[in-house]
Amino acid sequence: MTTQGNEIQIGDGSLRTGDRVVYPNQGICRITGVEVKQIAAGHSLEMVLLKREEDGATVMVPRAKVMGIGLRKVATPEIIDEVFDYLASPNDDPQLDWKVRHRENADKMTGGGLFGTAEVLKGLHSLTRVRPLPQKERELYDSARHLLLGEIAAACGIPMHTAEDNLDYALFPPPGMKRKGVELKLLAPIVPIKPLRAAGEDDLGFDDDEETAEEPEAAPAAAESEKDEDRDEDEDGRKLKLVKSGARPKASKPAKAAPAKAAAKSAEKPKTARPAAKSAEKKAAKPAAQSAKPVKPARPAGKASPKDKAAKSKSPAKKKGKS
Amino acid sequence: MIRIVTLGEFPPDVLDHAQRRIHAAYGMGCELQGEAKLPKSAFTADQDAYDGPKLLDQVDDDTELYADDKLLYLMTAPIGGPIGPMGKGPTDGFAQQGGGRCVVTSAQLGGKGQLTLEAGLAKRAAHYVGHLWDLHHCFDPRCAMHPGWAPGFLQYPEVALCLFCREKSEKKIKLGQG
Repeated sequence: MTTQGNEIQIGDGSLRTGDRVVYPNQGICRITGVEVKQIAAGHSLEMVLLKREEDGATVMVPRAKVMGIGLRKVATPEIIDEVFDYLASPNDDPQLDWKVRHRENADKMTGGGLFGTAEVLKGLHSLTRVRPLPQKERELYDSARHLLLGEIAAACGIPMHTAEDNLDYALFPPPGMKRKGVELKLLAPIVPIKPLRAAGEDDLGFDDDEETAEEPEAAPAAAESEKDEDRDEDEDGRKLKLVKSGARPKASKPAKAAPAKAAAKSAEKPKTARPAAKSAEKKAAKPAAQSAKPVKPARPAGKASPKDKAAKSKSPAKKKGKS
Repeated sequence: MIRIVTLGEFPPDVLDHAQRRIHAAYGMGCELQGEAKLPKSAFTADQDAYDGPKLLDQVDDDTELYADDKLLYLMTAPIGGPIGPMGKGPTDGFAQQGGGRCVVTSAQLGGKGQLTLEAGLAKRAAHYVGHLWDLHHCFDPRCAMHPGWAPGFLQYPEVALCLFCREKSEKKIKLGQG
């Protein structure tokens, strides 16, 4: 049973059916009505029906939770103007600790409202000057941009494309662009960017993107909360890539590229395959181990160190103990 | 398929280059469909340019589009558009974000401090076609989706998409074809 009409008040009374609202992380929606839904036998729940403007998808929210999830009216042009003031202001220093950044951004996206989304966008934008964004943060950047653009376009009554141009007049100010009498300056990236190699029509020359991604800050070794577990995959993934590219380049590549037939052949001939792999591992591991240890002064060939002597004397005892 | 309709005169080699580069960027067929007349009613005297949204509404063109087809109009006259919260800024085209049609101008290309007509038109066209697949502006100066007025757009004349934009466009193209 659907009830429609302007007389129905939703949430704290500020929302009515027919209103354009913003659903955090979803975008612009229109309240189409209130419906009583049968959830279980003898138990029903009053749901607010929302229609997402972008794709026409229907979203249902329990009426009691409407304010709790952060549903709010579309911002006014005055608020949008304040958002542009913030976006056009000189860049803040980006948060470099990815754990703190991830937590803050997630909170801002869900409960921060329009300014929260703008802060996420600006924070990640300023971070791009320092380092390339990892995949998840690149997705977050795109999502924040999309949500912000949707609201700017809805609030100002302009096409989405015009809203995007205006947003980037603030983030990438063209020469001579002014905001309230103050000329905006474009800040150059701090990270040196590799130029593209000459690309053919099929090869677009972006294969080396992942190799250039760097992780300047050290991963903290502190105890990790449950929220951070999904981020660890990303961090670990990147670390593994760095180890592979640095320590065992030859051994890791054929394993990835080898087709199923070649893998079967290598399984049939383990004697020929193993030494090659081992020698490759040893060759790659030796320089890494050498570089990791601090350089010690050379000891005369005939003399053994006191530690070595102690180890030699202890080793038979250990073996006996183990056996 | 990406279909190109011209609203002005362009050298054949410039159009050919644009077609090839768009095809390479999106992995999708791109062909020259024909010519159409520029709607005079879309001209706005106060901006001394054609209004992008009006132009797309009023252009007299009977090109048939199928489900995943995109239509790209190329013109030589300057383009303007609605003025937003930041005021008037440089504009070199207009696209229906996530829609089917866009228009790109070659105005100012080949001038001092600008890309050549051939390279500039191909890159601008690839940029606006990207908007049709809901791609947003990209901060990577090497990417074709980098804003057209930013220095990176001129610094890297190659038409290439960054990894993120390329993957996103591929997803959207697959969805459109599905």
